[in-house]
Amino acid sequence: MAENVGPHDDPELLARFNTRVASGEQIEAGEWMPAEYRFEALRLIQMHANSEIMGALPEREWIPRAPTLARKMALTAKVQDEVGHAMLLYRVAETLGRSREEMFAELVEGRSRFHNVFHYPAETWADVAIIQVFVDGAAMQTQGALRSCSYAPYARVLKRICYEEDFHIQLGLDVWRALAEGTPRQRAMLQDALNRWWTPIIHFFGMPDRISPHSEKMLAWRIKVKSNEELRQQFLRRFVPIILEYGLDVPDPALRMVEPEQRYVYTEPDWEELKRVGRNNGPKSAERLALRQAFYRQHAWVRDAVAHGAAA
Amino acid sequence: MKAAGSWEQRLDAPRDVWAVFLQSRTRDPHIHVGDVHAPDAEMALVLAKENYARRDPCVSLWVVRADEIHATTADAAEMFDPALDKSYRFGGSYRKQQQVYRSAWRLSHRDEDQ
Repeated sequence: MAENVGPHDDPELLARFNTRVASGEQIEAGEWMPAEYRFEALRLIQMHANSEIMGALPEREWIPRAPTLARKMALTAKVQDEVGHAMLLYRVAETLGRSREEMFAELVEGRSRFHNVFHYPAETWADVAIIQVFVDGAAMQTQGALRSCSYAPYARVLKRICYEEDFHIQLGLDVWRALAEGTPRQRAMLQDALNRWWTPIIHFFGMPDRISPHSEKMLAWRIKVKSNEELRQQFLRRFVPIILEYGLDVPDPALRMVEPEQRYVYTEPDWEELKRVGRNNGPKSAERLALRQAFYRQHAWVRDAVAHGAAA
Repeated sequence: MKAAGSWEQRLDAPRDVWAVFLQSRTRDPHIHVGDVHAPDAEMALVLAKENYARRDPCVSLWVVRADEIHATTADAAEMFDPALDKSYRFGGSYRKQQQVYRSAWRLSHRDEDQ
């Protein structure tokens, strides 16, 4: 890869790069890019890849316990999609110069990050509905926007990923509907899951961006396409009505829509919790990373067998 | 890196990366849908099937070592821009001609009908 990095931020190349990105062009793997662009794009995509594979863990816990065979098959398909997304994304990240093995080691050793929502437990079957509708729904806002990001290999895989995430939301809405229209106990279970997930979901988009030279640069380079707050508002506009339609309570009593601006006002969450969880100090961080690491070790023989089988 | 001005390059990919080409229907071309890591072609095809043909239609998969792919460089893209006016290669440039021809054809048939 190093041979394609070229001179570090040669002013002429940088100016040309900026003009290209500003005019809406996308950058292909192997093309010259500023060192900072490479660093930020890699960080973003690696975190996305980590989140896909770690996100499969809370849901896979529910495959054996899904209430019907149809639900079990659907959930299996969904979990398989998530792991597939990780495969696509690690490959894209690899084109930015870090090997898949390195990234995997960084993940299982807790040296890289994954999304806050996957550090929390999935306690009941209703949590599966919440994850599929709201967590995937939140992810859809970010990923949908990034389909127009400037790194072409990432933009291309996001098209496919968003298509599959949309299926997950549909699937989740079906579970959601069944519970919301079910017995009082089922509705109570759904409300309880919603209450527990609300803050992590509000956290998901990150703190409202301060206008800093850094965020301006990320927006100009289209590694970021919309601000955190814009994405959170977009999510609330689309998903709060789903809660209200089924007569459930939005877990934030202060939440209200400011009609003229089409903007929701919500209770400021504890951002310290997001920072803590993001540093792998969430309720399930250690357990899930240990599980990921254990599986990685346990399955080493499969990787070896595949590699040596081919050499033989 | 190749000498400046080179218009051809080898795709930079680890040796175990295979590019996957998927054909949706027999009438369609094979299209690059992504890559897989695999030690050999057979395993690459198995992984390609699992990763790229889970849901959508597929009648055929191709895998090829990504580092064997030769490609034009991004800088060379301008060589695809036509150097001359190529409108003569497009049907749209002949609409006027088509109109004249069609009306003449209709007229002549009407004459025969009468």
